[in-house]
Amino acid sequence: MSRGLRTGLAALGLALLAGCATVPVKPWQRERLVDPIVAFKAEAREDARKMKTFEAREGSTGGVGGAGGGCACK
Amino acid sequence: MRPALTLTLLAAGLASAGAAPALAQEAADEPQVAGTLVRWFTDSDHVSVRSLSTDWAWPLARGSDLTFHYNNERVFIPAISAPPGSQDAIDAITTASRPISGNAFEDFVKQRNEVQGEYERGHAAVNYYVSSESDYLAQQVGGRWDRDFRQQTMNLSFGSSWGWDEITPLQNDRTQTGDARKTTLHWNAIMTQVVSPSLLVRYGVEYNLVNGLQHNPYRDVYAGGTNVPERTPDVRQRRDAFLRVNQALPNRASIKFSYRFYNDDWGVTSHELGTRLSQYVTRGLSARWEYRWYTQTAANFWSDSYASVTGIDGFLTGDYRLGPLASHLFGGSLRADLEAFAPTRTFVRRMTLWFDLERYFNSNNYSANVVETGVDFRFP
Repeated sequence: MSRGLRTGLAALGLALLAGCATVPVKPWQRERLVDPIVAFKAEAREDARKMKTFEAREGSTGGVGGAGGGCACK
Repeated sequence: MRPALTLTLLAAGLASAGAAPALAQEAADEPQVAGTLVRWFTDSDHVSVRSLSTDWAWPLARGSDLTFHYNNERVFIPAISAPPGSQDAIDAITTASRPISGNAFEDFVKQRNEVQGEYERGHAAVNYYVSSESDYLAQQVGGRWDRDFRQQTMNLSFGSSWGWDEITPLQNDRTQTGDARKTTLHWNAIMTQVVSPSLLVRYGVEYNLVNGLQHNPYRDVYAGGTNVPERTPDVRQRRDAFLRVNQALPNRASIKFSYRFYNDDWGVTSHELGTRLSQYVTRGLSARWEYRWYTQTAANFWSDSYASVTGIDGFLTGDYRLGPLASHLFGGSLRADLEAFAPTRTFVRRMTLWFDLERYFNSNNYSANVVETGVDFRFP
């Protein structure tokens, strides 16, 4: 495993542990989080389209939680 | 049972890559929504892609949902523009990443059609994806399972997919690559967390194991003073970890940060940083600014000049995507929810319109523009 990957996984682990220390947010406190300019879901389709474009121009993939084949881009 | 079939069933049973994981903060009751968009991509090589797509989401009984996605793309690759017989024309023809059969001085146009369907029930989902073009057929089955924790402020999702691609190169005057196959096994684990009434965080790790033809069957590479077909390894292990932070701001605005680290066993390592700033201009109308920075290292076998026809370790590529690269993207968009503007009791109130503009450029003197516009309609 490369040094960079180990560092990334360690950072991810620390972030997960940090999250466990928060006080749970109640359902009635989440109004701002479902706003389209804040929620993850509102941009999910757009992010998937962009990943496809970047995959055709760059050497990496990922970041949106999925994979898909085919490329008519070039 | 064949390994491929076993993995396919395993992936389908787990439940969806290709779709975002369930979100701890999402509302349970969502209307039926249909949307359509058109997208134009044009770049500095005069390649253009026009996309027309539509999406449907049907909420069903007992907390289940069905979604459908269709996309049609028309790709235009211009004819070789150098004078026939000139060295520039010969160079362009031998390194073209399109089939050259007969007249290389004619435009090349092809269509791609893509369909994806997903069924989600409770905490599990399964999906199927197919993409078809004249020389490429890609299919994929996927699945996802997720679970909420800590009074629904934390969601953990596991997804997997199995993809199999059939590659049938078109008739070509130069390369002799025959029919080939590529498979992709994908795994991901993603956690989404409601950290505070104004802060969402998502972390994820992904792994892809790719087997089969992964180079362009139409492209030749200069090596040892002659042209030889491009050749890359048949196996590639790709992995990445990402972090996304969405923060709601006062004054009806939000800021989003994202970071992704990627690494593979071909030697490509990349970092991606992104940020988006959104602001409501007035009720129902929001504007967004976006910036993305990306950098990557080269694959072990990439070189801008090969001394021998055997390349490096037997591999050679003319694909700039496998070389050192840095890129920037700037974007802006407007989104209007017409419920805030249209008269009451009219169907127009159920529509959301948006318009996006993006400018992309990278360190290979390459640039592209993307224009996208679309509409979503919420059914009663």
